[in-house]
Amino acid sequence: MRRVDGQFLVLAAINVVLLALGAAISGGSFLSVFNLQSMAGQVPEIGLLAIGVMLAMCAGDGGIDLSGIALANLSGVLSAVLVAGLVSSAEQEGLYSALFILGALVIGFLGGLVNGTLITRFRITPILCTLGTQMAFTGLAVIVSGGKAVVVGSPEPLSSIGNEFWFGAPISFILFVAVAALIGVALKVSPFGRWLMLSGSNPKAALYAGFPRSAVVTATYALSGTLSGLSGVIIAARNVNVKWDYGASYLLIAILIAVMAGVRPEGGYGRIVCVVFSAVALQLMSSLLNFGGLSNFVRDFAWGALLLAFLAIARYDLVGFVFSDRRR
Amino acid sequence: MKRSIQTIAAALLAATAVAGTTGLAMAADKPVIATVVKISGIPWFDRLETGVKAFQAANPDVEATQYGPATSDSAQQLQIVQDLVAKGVDALAVVPMDPAVLEGTLKRAMERGTVVVTHEADNQVNTMADVEAFDNSYYGASLNERLAQCMGQKGKWTTFVGSLGSRTHMQWVGAGEENAKKYPDMVLVDPNNESFDDANGVYEKAKELLRKHPDLAGFQTSAGNDVLGVGRAIEEAGLAGKVCLVGTGLPNPSAPYLDSGAITAIGYWDPQKAGMAMNVVAKLLLEKKELKSGMDLGVEGYNNVTVTKGAGDGLLVVGNGMVLDDKDSYKAHLF
Repeated sequence: MRRVDGQFLVLAAINVVLLALGAAISGGSFLSVFNLQSMAGQVPEIGLLAIGVMLAMCAGDGGIDLSGIALANLSGVLSAVLVAGLVSSAEQEGLYSALFILGALVIGFLGGLVNGTLITRFRITPILCTLGTQMAFTGLAVIVSGGKAVVVGSPEPLSSIGNEFWFGAPISFILFVAVAALIGVALKVSPFGRWLMLSGSNPKAALYAGFPRSAVVTATYALSGTLSGLSGVIIAARNVNVKWDYGASYLLIAILIAVMAGVRPEGGYGRIVCVVFSAVALQLMSSLLNFGGLSNFVRDFAWGALLLAFLAIARYDLVGFVFSDRRR
Repeated sequence: MKRSIQTIAAALLAATAVAGTTGLAMAADKPVIATVVKISGIPWFDRLETGVKAFQAANPDVEATQYGPATSDSAQQLQIVQDLVAKGVDALAVVPMDPAVLEGTLKRAMERGTVVVTHEADNQVNTMADVEAFDNSYYGASLNERLAQCMGQKGKWTTFVGSLGSRTHMQWVGAGEENAKKYPDMVLVDPNNESFDDANGVYEKAKELLRKHPDLAGFQTSAGNDVLGVGRAIEEAGLAGKVCLVGTGLPNPSAPYLDSGAITAIGYWDPQKAGMAMNVVAKLLLEKKELKSGMDLGVEGYNNVTVTKGAGDGLLVVGNGMVLDDKDSYKAHLF
């Protein structure tokens, strides 16, 4: 019999409860199409960063990526500055969009590659390495933009990623789910995924088994960087402008999402679908508090309480206890 | 077991649907004006909230409340604005952390029929009216003139801004620099230090600057907490009365430093009045009334406003609410 994934069930239940609660206190408008779309549009930028953190954590050896939002901002800022020098966002909209998106993804990829190389080649602890690159990326973004917001404008089709809908869902959200699904499948079926999880759970065994560990870790951070780049694209598409200090609070929230999703901080285990649900749950909770007119200080408290609750659930296997008849 | 999970799920969905429909029936019909500030829980915006409350007390036919992020991050403020638009408030009165970040969302809000009023953001394109307490260049120049007077029109001076993206702060120090050009002996060093409105951070930074330039003679600061941090650094260095400090600040928190001479003078506009003025303008726009130059908003300092075209299609509403207080005059305005 297939083992029930407790974390997944709890996360799904929390999402349903939050939706119900939101509907109850807001007088229904919480479930209005406009609000559902608005909330879905807010998830992707932080959700992508959380997936990056999850991948880094899965790689084990104290893996974590603290440079996510800094790299996302750098990707947006640098790409906007470079591309604006070549084509005008107002005149050649299609070309500008394509170059901007490509530029941001490449910069994200390169940034991630720097992280991966520093960690594998120079054996720098990931938390210190990404802390350093986080500051370097932020600093670089300040330098190239002169500390000001860089205007991206609303060129199509870039702007539609942030503002338009497909089948009633924001395009950015569909993109986020598609990317998440792609990575989820890749982790399950590809050798890369198996190498990542196995070497994350036991680096020494992986070394003796002849896994290409350095390559796997480097690729993981490069992937995480590319996701940051994509996040930068979505931020630019949504906000018309990119700026180096956007989302200063995202760093900790991304980690919070990953831990809430049951990603094991020691490495070797994490499920993408849980990260997606966990990101959605945090979004629902924060929108809920805004709908209820509660202070934003309550939100920090609620998130902290939620995180502690999840750690307790994982520690004492409460779900397994409740659904004990499922386990033989 | 599987059945029971299904039952629970079905029950939850049913509860959702019920809650949703009953909620719709009791939705309030008074127009809602939501004020969104840069950060919650700091004296400046607590004072602004008293204005929102005073407006609410005077206008029971609308619902006025204040929101704000717990951390100083434009992304957090963006989320709040987005949630409020989705919630369907009738009017937004926003003090943008970073006007550029909010443009897209405010545009969508207006397309949805939400009235948008801003404050401290005269470059906001997507707003119907931006309310300013005074002309920003005049304010920056006035602060600098007071500083120059204290410094004897000579010596090294420096500037602090909340953040480089904070448009008004940059205008004030810009106008200050412009004013200081009148005095060739005033030398600007290490300008535009970012404070992030954090008194502790400013304190450290000011100590650093005083070490780097032992002959530093003046500070011009911008964010509400800057004078407190710089004032503390000056006082602890035993330089109270020797180094001049003129900046934006509120009388109550600045009082001890004004008394000791660590702060030369504070300039401000009363955020309470600004909060009231924003809400008055929002209400006028909700009632589809016209905003005209010379109009009296019924708020002190906004009795004869100047209305001009703003950065976008909206209007720029400028009052005359500037106050410049020193040791001798602040006691008349304690808040």
